[in-house]
Amino acid sequence: MGSVNLRGIRKAYGAVEVLHGIDLDVEEGEFAVLVGPSGCGKSTLLRSIAGLETISGGEISLAGKVINHLPPKRRDIAMVFQNYALYPHMTVAKNMGFSLRLSKESKSEIDRKVTDAAEILGLTELLDRYPKQLSGGQRQRVAMGRAIVRDPELFLFDEPLSNLDAKLRVQMRSEIKELHQRLKTTTIYVTHDQIEAMTMADKIVVMRGGHVEQIGSPLDLYDRPVNMFVAGFIGSPAMNFVPASVRDASVMTTSGAEIGTQEGVESVGEAIAGIRPEDLRLSDTGQEATVSLIEPTGSETQVTLRTMDGNLILTTRDRLDLDVGQAVHVMAAPGKTHLFDAKSETALKLRESA
Amino acid sequence: MNNRSDRWLAYFMILPVVAAVLAFVIGPTWDVGKLSLTQVVMGMERGFGTLDNFRALAADPLFALVVKNTAIWIIGGTILCVLVGLAVGAYLAIDSWQTTILRALILLPWVIPDVVTAMAWKWMLHGQVGIIGSTIQAAGLTDEQVSFLGDPSLVMWTLVVVLIWRKMPLVALILCAAIRSVPSEQIEAARMDGANAFERFRFVVIPNIAFSLTAVTVISMIWITAEFALPWIMTGGGPANASQIMSTYIYQQSFEFFNWGVASAMSVVNLVMLMLIIALYLYVNRRSWASGADK
Repeated sequence: MGSVNLRGIRKAYGAVEVLHGIDLDVEEGEFAVLVGPSGCGKSTLLRSIAGLETISGGEISLAGKVINHLPPKRRDIAMVFQNYALYPHMTVAKNMGFSLRLSKESKSEIDRKVTDAAEILGLTELLDRYPKQLSGGQRQRVAMGRAIVRDPELFLFDEPLSNLDAKLRVQMRSEIKELHQRLKTTTIYVTHDQIEAMTMADKIVVMRGGHVEQIGSPLDLYDRPVNMFVAGFIGSPAMNFVPASVRDASVMTTSGAEIGTQEGVESVGEAIAGIRPEDLRLSDTGQEATVSLIEPTGSETQVTLRTMDGNLILTTRDRLDLDVGQAVHVMAAPGKTHLFDAKSETALKLRESA
Repeated sequence: MNNRSDRWLAYFMILPVVAAVLAFVIGPTWDVGKLSLTQVVMGMERGFGTLDNFRALAADPLFALVVKNTAIWIIGGTILCVLVGLAVGAYLAIDSWQTTILRALILLPWVIPDVVTAMAWKWMLHGQVGIIGSTIQAAGLTDEQVSFLGDPSLVMWTLVVVLIWRKMPLVALILCAAIRSVPSEQIEAARMDGANAFERFRFVVIPNIAFSLTAVTVISMIWITAEFALPWIMTGGGPANASQIMSTYIYQQSFEFFNWGVASAMSVVNLVMLMLIIALYLYVNRRSWASGADK
């Protein structure tokens, strides 16, 4: 196990640069998740760490050793691929033991390690099967088994759950998380699914267009997004954004209604207010709105509201007595409004409160 | 009712093919089988129901040589053809502008007619005026010009080389296509697992293209067995029968010496051999990884 340190990683295909100088530190034993929309460079970054792509600039070190110029086989990194990439002509046991066989370990040693890994992953019964005879979840586990038998410094996961159905995905999510807690191997995990990122990560790295937007713990990112992109990307349903102005800690929409209060913010004429759906409340005063859609999911209800400043989403665990078309007033819970600069889209600094 | 007329329509529609197969494949095969069991003297049929033709074949001192030559031709030709094809195919599978051009150029030997190929090679390999022999001599590698087609110890292998030149391109292209369809994730997974280039080829690429590889092996075996024009035009079986193979010997026996019976017996032996090869192919292709059905 080792820490991973990336310094100014650049990757260009011809004249097109897809990674623009990425800096990232993953501590020993940490579970880091790279998340972002497709095309943001997260997979390229992962493949660069693996050594499957050569980088155009920067430095990758693993456990204090620079590994830029080493071929993948000498990096001591294991990777789980999106479509599992199992060898179809080998049994589960052979698939898992392949790397050990290549490194010329003894037969008994290979058997022991494969059996151990199979036990951890619940694959003992399936060791003689071929990949074609397995379900998606089982194949996923074999792919993980292939990684863990090697006991590498670092695990890489490239969207490993995206080929599974929703229920299995949730199950495998917790299995991977549990496996990590058990093995404590440093892990970098790529996904486009922010819920996966939130639930699994010790550290989330939000990427966009080849840049890192923000690095932090899941709740850090949720509570203190540094810009509108991160604010909108993390959280589901996504954060509501409305154009607003701030005067004396009161956040007003362009129609002049108060939609929230936020202490410690300079007065500003033009800003964007961001309010998470669960922080939006029905109230006696505040922004006028019309109920346009009510979607109960059982545990909570999601209400779409039409206002003069665009649609707002509100979620609540209370059972509401609302009808479509009803006129209501909404307001954010005190101190729960995020404010962003209207031009740069970065979060406005809060004054240090005493 | 409707179903039934549909069925008759279906039979009617395949009738031309059935008729053609009966007339041009099954019929002649049947005739050859019959002929091989018939005694023929001076082109006249003298009684059916004898194994004399097969006995004559076994007694023919030349037949052993023909079998040996045929083995070199078929087995040597097939193995070399597939091995060279695999090497060339693996090279062509690499992405670059050179291989893109080569992939088109390599088919040239395939589109040239057999007769043209045979004549061109015959002259290039000629014992006095051939460019290959004179080049080797000019380079100082031999004292005098080698007659590739005139030397009984060289002629069979020389023919095999020309055969490979002619048949290998398609094998290479088929294997190239198969290699290119190996999922890149598997190759990458193997790289992560620590496999070097050779190990990736041996443990990932080869098993993935196994079906194409066996198919192409059997198909080239059949092509090579059936190939007649190339050896016949280049050597006519000579010198002194040193390059006489099954197909040329059958032709010579039947259409030059009019030994219909012996020639038919040889054809039957040839057919049985081909059927064994095909049976082997079907047997090899019968198993598949984990389809579940066979296991």
